[in-house]
Amino acid sequence: MKLKTALLGAACALSFAPAAFADRGTDGEVKFTFPQAVSIMNPFLSSGTKDVYASSLVLEPLAGFDADGNLIPKLVTEIPTVENGGISADLTTITWKLLPDLKWSDGSPVTADDAVFTAAYCMDPAGGCAQLSKFDGVAKVEAVDASTVKVTFSAPKPNPYTAFVGALSPILQKAQFAACQGAAAPTCTDPNNMPIGTGPFKVTGFTVNDTVTLAMNDNYRDPAKPAFASAVIKGGGDAEGSARAVMETGEFDYAWNTQIPPDSQASMTAAGKGEFVVAFGTLVERIEMNMTDPDPALPEGERSTAKHPHPVLSDIKVRTALSKAIDRQILSDVGYGAGGAPTCNVVPAPAAWASDNTGCIAQDMEGAKKLLDEAGWVPGADGIREKDGKKLHILYQSTVNPIRQDFQALIKDWWTELGVDVELKAIDPSVFFGGDAGSPDTFQKFYADVEMYANNSDGTDPETYLSQYQCVNAPSPENQWQGENMNRYCDPAYDAKVKVLSTTVDVAERQKLAKELNDMVTKDSMTVIPLVHRGTLSAHSNTLGGVKINAWDSEMWNVADWFRVK
Amino acid sequence: MLTFTLRRLLLAIPTLFVISLVIFLLVDLAPGSPMSEIPLTVPPEVRKKMIEALGADQPVMVRYVLWLRQFFWVEPATLFDGWFGTNLAGGEQRILSWQSRAPVFTIIGQRIPQTLTVIGTAYLVGVLIALPIGIYSAYRQYSLFDQLGTLFAMIGFSVPTFFSGTLIIIIFAVTLGWFPTKYDTNLAVTDWPSFLQQLRQMAMPVMTLGLANAAVISRYMRSSMLDNMTMDYVRTARAKGMSERVVVLKHVLRNSMIPVVTVIALGIPSIFGGAIITENLFGVNGIGAALIGAIHASDLPMVQTLAFIFAVLIVTFNLIADVLYGLLDPRIRYD
Amino acid sequence: MRDTTTAPLVQVDGLKMYFPIYSGILRRHTGDVKAVDGVSFSIQAGETLGLVGESGCGKSTVGRALLRLYEPTAGAVVIEGEDIAKLSPEALRRKRPTMQMVFQDPQASLNPRMTLADIISEPLVEHTDWNADRRLERVYELMDAVGLNRRFANRFPHEFSGGQRQRIGIARALALNPKFIVCDEPIAALDVSIQAQVVNLLEDLQEKLGLTYLFISHDLSMVRHIADRVAVMYLGRIAELSPRDALFSKPLHPYAEALLSAVNEPDPSLARRPRIILKGDVPSPARPPKGCNFSTRCPKAFARCHAEKPELQEVEPGRHVACFLYDAKPGSTGTTEAPANLRQEHNPQGEYQ
Repeated sequence: MKLKTALLGAACALSFAPAAFADRGTDGEVKFTFPQAVSIMNPFLSSGTKDVYASSLVLEPLAGFDADGNLIPKLVTEIPTVENGGISADLTTITWKLLPDLKWSDGSPVTADDAVFTAAYCMDPAGGCAQLSKFDGVAKVEAVDASTVKVTFSAPKPNPYTAFVGALSPILQKAQFAACQGAAAPTCTDPNNMPIGTGPFKVTGFTVNDTVTLAMNDNYRDPAKPAFASAVIKGGGDAEGSARAVMETGEFDYAWNTQIPPDSQASMTAAGKGEFVVAFGTLVERIEMNMTDPDPALPEGERSTAKHPHPVLSDIKVRTALSKAIDRQILSDVGYGAGGAPTCNVVPAPAAWASDNTGCIAQDMEGAKKLLDEAGWVPGADGIREKDGKKLHILYQSTVNPIRQDFQALIKDWWTELGVDVELKAIDPSVFFGGDAGSPDTFQKFYADVEMYANNSDGTDPETYLSQYQCVNAPSPENQWQGENMNRYCDPAYDAKVKVLSTTVDVAERQKLAKELNDMVTKDSMTVIPLVHRGTLSAHSNTLGGVKINAWDSEMWNVADWFRVK
Repeated sequence: MLTFTLRRLLLAIPTLFVISLVIFLLVDLAPGSPMSEIPLTVPPEVRKKMIEALGADQPVMVRYVLWLRQFFWVEPATLFDGWFGTNLAGGEQRILSWQSRAPVFTIIGQRIPQTLTVIGTAYLVGVLIALPIGIYSAYRQYSLFDQLGTLFAMIGFSVPTFFSGTLIIIIFAVTLGWFPTKYDTNLAVTDWPSFLQQLRQMAMPVMTLGLANAAVISRYMRSSMLDNMTMDYVRTARAKGMSERVVVLKHVLRNSMIPVVTVIALGIPSIFGGAIITENLFGVNGIGAALIGAIHASDLPMVQTLAFIFAVLIVTFNLIADVLYGLLDPRIRYD
Repeated sequence: MRDTTTAPLVQVDGLKMYFPIYSGILRRHTGDVKAVDGVSFSIQAGETLGLVGESGCGKSTVGRALLRLYEPTAGAVVIEGEDIAKLSPEALRRKRPTMQMVFQDPQASLNPRMTLADIISEPLVEHTDWNADRRLERVYELMDAVGLNRRFANRFPHEFSGGQRQRIGIARALALNPKFIVCDEPIAALDVSIQAQVVNLLEDLQEKLGLTYLFISHDLSMVRHIADRVAVMYLGRIAELSPRDALFSKPLHPYAEALLSAVNEPDPSLARRPRIILKGDVPSPARPPKGCNFSTRCPKAFARCHAEKPELQEVEPGRHVACFLYDAKPGSTGTTEAPANLRQEHNPQGEYQ
């Protein structure tokens, strides 16, 4: 029986035909489970992925991304480009044409005013909009006519696909949110929990941090979709429990973010009720090198600042040696299984943007030792390398997380073999990422020699992400320890290249620049040691068809096409 | 007794004020920030704006006074308005969760029913299992039954719920397929099948917690029974020629129940507190799951309000336990 | 004083009460606390037998085992012709009304959650078919008898003074018209001023109701006041059993002698006996000495005392002593072992190993 269902499921998924013939609402209910419960359905007030994904069933942007990271129109007739005239030649405006007869789930028409309102809503300084960066450089959003939205930028914008693109920047209904602008935004509980959208589903019930119930949107633009009449998102528990509910007990159809140990992945897959799918985005687990001196003996305010270069890690040979000693394949296998792959890049995807840098994958312990010898660090009596009477000691910090502690232990072993005295430190993630300027343990303060965490680029274009490594972005007392350049990496050539990227329009040229920037911080300077390219592991039941995992938009980006395998 | 109760209630007011301040400061000083959950892709300026929008950048005393006002005036007024259609609250801002932006009391209101049904049932089941085990274990001290009872209690004491819960899931949900692993909050009990479904989805969390509760209470019951079993008045009762049933159930049990009832009463606030791990494990959206979620997200208003409500409940049930003690034990008079 | 022609009301034969000791991980039975190790005596109807000894000598255990509040390890307790030690639980329960106990601690022996009326009438509910009015009448009767105001019927035990509580305890014991009452240190927990009142009450009741008492006490002067005969216990065995006056004027057993030397002589005209101070501690009842239990501390002990246990035997009319000093056949050391064992089952007054 099981085998038969499985085969049937595979066959259907391959042929992909039934979806086309399914009628709206004929496949019953689709059940999601998230390990973190949904708090709010308005992505402008929460950047939690759980909230963004849940709201993507209801709220839609003008355009989104497909599984390969290509732009696809959602509420518009086509993607504006310079060629089709949608983008002005000087790159300062982009004009979107809404689909005709587009309706909100309450039956009222979608107009350009809704988009104008959405921009105003997010850009209101009192609103605390979490997606404000999507409207970076936006000078004006106006309705040319009822179905034409024109976004004007204050300066030429080579990548104008930020506002109204992707699940993070959907369109809100003006009528519903008109009274919720600015300081009133958080208090609008009902609209925030039950927004009216254009997506395939509409919210029928919302229990904070627990369950969202949804019904098909009768006014959805494709009359044959969605195949499911209703949907429910149950949140809470942990990744293990969510995975089990899909893979072992079959209670749910889709579980997002089921990152569980590789051996559990194998045993759950063996139950035969579902399969794991991985979305490889741009998330990279990496070790960041501190280019400045974190010595506690330094006065507060000078510790870990550009005033004092790092006494040991300033030497590229040491940094390279530390990277060479690591076996990234083992790390990936131990920590993530199918959900990870070794990488040498900070921008590992999409393929067109990723450098072909693979030099770091193979572990080279001998080469590493040789480099340290060359750098003047020679083994002392206790096996720890010394130079000028100083021991080679490294404080290695990360967050409290079982996989990271495994990584720390493995890497400590390798570095110890190298002759480095490694001291490990694990910090509560809420402190580490909390950004409290008063705490010595934030990743921005970086009061350690190296630190490990994961970061990613938002979307397919890595410009913003790569620009983080500019000199000015180094956290320091002057900017209250804000800033994303944790390493305090500072290379004028890099800053200059970032400037070039920000004005380059041609995509191929942009990709080339991005690869160069990537290589500058990784293999050229060894400032960042990428370890593992991490995917998001999700699970779906064998009876759920149409799933196409997507790392560039919501994983439910094509939920309208999902169907029940019969 | 009445004056005692009133006096204790009056004394509770300053106590609770001090507790509320201490909790507020503790929660505020605890490491972590409401921004720690936000992806790194959100730029620092945006984070700063978001913190300002939450009011989290205000000095701690300002936030405390605001919270006091919201807790003791705005929320009761809103409740009153809701009942009588008045407008006492005048649209003042209620205590809002930083995480979900929903009023904290709305969230609590949504969650209390699940916690009370599931955790309350588990407590009740625990008590109902514990009392007979404790009584018979004490009556036949060192018998096989007593040894098994001790083993049961040791397991209940020492096995953490995340382990016993997972074990129960693997046995009853994965292998046997009897019960669902995720609690369905939206299930409305309207008829027999839905009632059975409710029982099925409650079964595993109730088992997990009932075991832990029963372990604790059965030990109390047993030791209290043993204390009383050797008392002279029990010997007196035997000497009177009373049957064993009367001796055990009337003389020993009724006196042994006095401390046990107190322990049971003192445990009731923990029902409202929910069970953080169990609720999370089985997807029961109760108070415990709300608390841990709020702690993870550094949702200060939620944590603060819940912690303070627990404090109120604990103070209240301490008083109730004292009053019960007085009612049950004629030797104790508070006047 | 002793009416030897009628059968005694209470006849105790070779009563043993061992409390097992379990030790080790597996709680193996590794030994026994021999609280009562072969005690025999009889009590005539209407008589008061005093039972004295240091604390820990097993006298309270004798009292409790006698009423089968403990399950005796061996021996027979015949009360009115029935062996209490062998009765079935149900038969025992029906037998309870004839034998009652007054406890040492009146506070602890009364159920704190029951009113005085409940406490006294509970046995009536169990053993009679009287209605509530009749029972209340009886409660009042008993309260009058022990000198308690009827108004107190609905009060709880903690509301009374120690002396009043002991009166409640006595009233409760009397509720079913018992014949035999074990008074287990009934006055030990009371103020001296109250003690006499309670003892007088017990004496009055004995006279009025023809009760038979086993009066257990460590207070020798009180025993001298109330008892007809006195048994002196040491480490689970009776050392001497004699009529009161004979015992107090001339104790025969070295232990009795030492014990009584500590009593203040109320009559100053009588010459005061020299005080005998015993050396050493009482041995543990879990490991009694091989010979006479008192041999480790006896000032007059000789070789045989350390080898054999002496039996209780009548050395003068009515006086029984367990001591080789009074043995008619000294020097039988070599042959005692086997015959002593053989005699165990037959000698009703004997002391056994």
